[in-house]
Amino acid sequence: MELVFLAELAVNGAMTGLLYSLFAIGLVLIYKASSVPNLAQGALTMLGAYVVLAFADGLGMPLWVAIPLAAIVMFGLGFGIERVALRRLAGRPVIMILMMTLGLDIFLRGTTMAIWGATSASMELGVSYEPLFLGDLFISRIHLVGSIVTLVLFGAFMLFFRTRAGIKLKAIADDYTASWSVGISVERGVGLSWALASVVAVAAGVIWGEIQGVDQSLSLLLLKGLAVAVLGGLDSILGAVVAGIILGIIENVGANFLDPLVGGGSRDLIVAAVLILTVMIRPHGLFGRHDIERV
Amino acid sequence: MKRLNKLLFALAAAGAMLSGTSSMAEPFKVGVCYDLSKAYTFASPQISQAAMDLAKLINMKGGIGGEPVEVIVRDHGNEPQRGIECYSRLSREGVFVFDTLSTPVSLAILPRAMQDQRILMQSLVGRGDAVDGTVFEWVYPVGPTYWGQAANDIAYIKQVHNGDLSDVKIGFIYFDYPFGQEPIEILKTLAEKEGFELLLYPVQLPGTDQASAWSKVRRDNPDHMISWMLSGGHVVASKEMQRNRIPMDKYISVNWLNEVDIGNIGAEAATGLKRGTNVVGGQDVPLRLEMIRELYDKGEGSGPLKNTEDVFYNTGLAMYSIIFEAARKAAELEGLPITAQSYKAGLESLKDYDADGMMAPITVTAEDHGGGGKTRIEMWDGETWVPQTDWMAAYSDVVWDVVKESSSKYAQ
Repeated sequence: MELVFLAELAVNGAMTGLLYSLFAIGLVLIYKASSVPNLAQGALTMLGAYVVLAFADGLGMPLWVAIPLAAIVMFGLGFGIERVALRRLAGRPVIMILMMTLGLDIFLRGTTMAIWGATSASMELGVSYEPLFLGDLFISRIHLVGSIVTLVLFGAFMLFFRTRAGIKLKAIADDYTASWSVGISVERGVGLSWALASVVAVAAGVIWGEIQGVDQSLSLLLLKGLAVAVLGGLDSILGAVVAGIILGIIENVGANFLDPLVGGGSRDLIVAAVLILTVMIRPHGLFGRHDIERV
Repeated sequence: MKRLNKLLFALAAAGAMLSGTSSMAEPFKVGVCYDLSKAYTFASPQISQAAMDLAKLINMKGGIGGEPVEVIVRDHGNEPQRGIECYSRLSREGVFVFDTLSTPVSLAILPRAMQDQRILMQSLVGRGDAVDGTVFEWVYPVGPTYWGQAANDIAYIKQVHNGDLSDVKIGFIYFDYPFGQEPIEILKTLAEKEGFELLLYPVQLPGTDQASAWSKVRRDNPDHMISWMLSGGHVVASKEMQRNRIPMDKYISVNWLNEVDIGNIGAEAATGLKRGTNVVGGQDVPLRLEMIRELYDKGEGSGPLKNTEDVFYNTGLAMYSIIFEAARKAAELEGLPITAQSYKAGLESLKDYDADGMMAPITVTAEDHGGGGKTRIEMWDGETWVPQTDWMAAYSDVVWDVVKESSSKYAQ
């Protein structure tokens, strides 16, 4: 196999992985504050894309207005979810909150289906389809744009966690009870994490919507995003970014060798293998915090 | 006394009305157990709308032999258990013709329908080998199997290369699950027979990430790309083709590509794209025009007008024209009321039926429940679909070898 082709698979794999990281950052934000993997993150991503289209196609706004407006709406929705659905579950077993996110996922998918139907809609960001070559290396422009968005958001969250609000979120992630006892509003912190995750969902929905169109299948990003988040460590944004790159490369390059041998289907096997090995060997992921509970 | 007379008169009138009701013809019912909420929603609304429209039109014209027709639409959400419930409930209501538009649901219902001797229509879904009427007596996958469609695609490519495929490279990009994998064996057989090189490009569901597959395609540079994907999968593919500078005219899609997909690809960008189909694309089709004139112009359509501008609406009209034409034949052959047995005879008497130019002519026999499996290739010219071939059923010997091999396993 040509080295250039191998490099192309690796680079494009890394960029695709970064798009999954974009999704996974939303999962990590919520996990950091409430210790629950949000099973509704896929549905939130889909909803974010639909809201952008509602402003852009429905109300005729340009995308540069529609996207920030959708982000504001979703920010409010994130807070609303905490206020209406999650606050009353405070103190209940984590499994109950997990089930709530599952219910939320089904509810959002059903609602979007009822409002916008099942027909796929296009999200035209105006990114050129012209191929981009770095020497002999082919680069997909939309994947490049998506990767840049991921890295910008990653940088923004790194800065955010140095602000007062960010430090409060970190404190909540570290210890709920201690945070309460020093007067931090845990409810508001959890609400903020949901609101930020919903804004991230808009970004992921827009980029993935451009790539694949906007329909119910956007919610299926959850599985791959979850794998990335687990590999990186469910509470680490840096982990989500690094894991996305690693998983993207392994998947893209690995499948290229394995598919011809096993007759296809190896991508899912690779992801499954990475997920299982991570849980077995390093359950807290690459960058996640390793908690030891004393009984 | 006068009061008593009035009461008796009223009772007599009511009795007459009731007896009049009971003597009204029982409708010929079709159980449309569809996935209206999950995986098949890219096509099920248009197809079920066509079914309801056609039933309305037939009733407006006096029904079939004086009997009204009725389509009973239920959602099974692509869940076999719900499909079975739909089948059981409607069976109790006297329905003996069913259509599921879902492979998993069709597979679940098939053994029951065979046992109960009820008709299971399964155009474009379900077991391909069910075209073998000698084994699947009560199952009618009228239309092309995926094996037949793929074989017809190869026949078209052979035409393009003046009958010689020996130096031709054909890529096959497919959803890596049973729907997409189904044509692989027949393509391999034909590659051996015709001498072309077959290149396989699996794509994981839901088809959102095709970047590496198309990078490989760019490197391998096949002459044609046959695609077995659905809905958004085509849109992603077309964008990756543009990014990789692969000409769109290399792309030949399975029948599941519609105007929504063209809209999402971009009408201009999709120019040159091809699809195999057993129904006529576009809107200037006599039966569709009649629907617009008789129903939609009068505000009596069964759904939004937009759905009628989609090839899957044409697909629905074709599927249900067959279903109602078979009922008409059944009434003609064996009289009313139509029974499962007489309906079966009606289906098996369809000869060169094309629903007024709506689809490939079909001839259903006791042996061939697929009706011949004809398709043609159409090309999107930027505005509409332009036929590239006549209706054809190529390599039928090869296709039937596969059918027989598979159906014989079921028979055992």
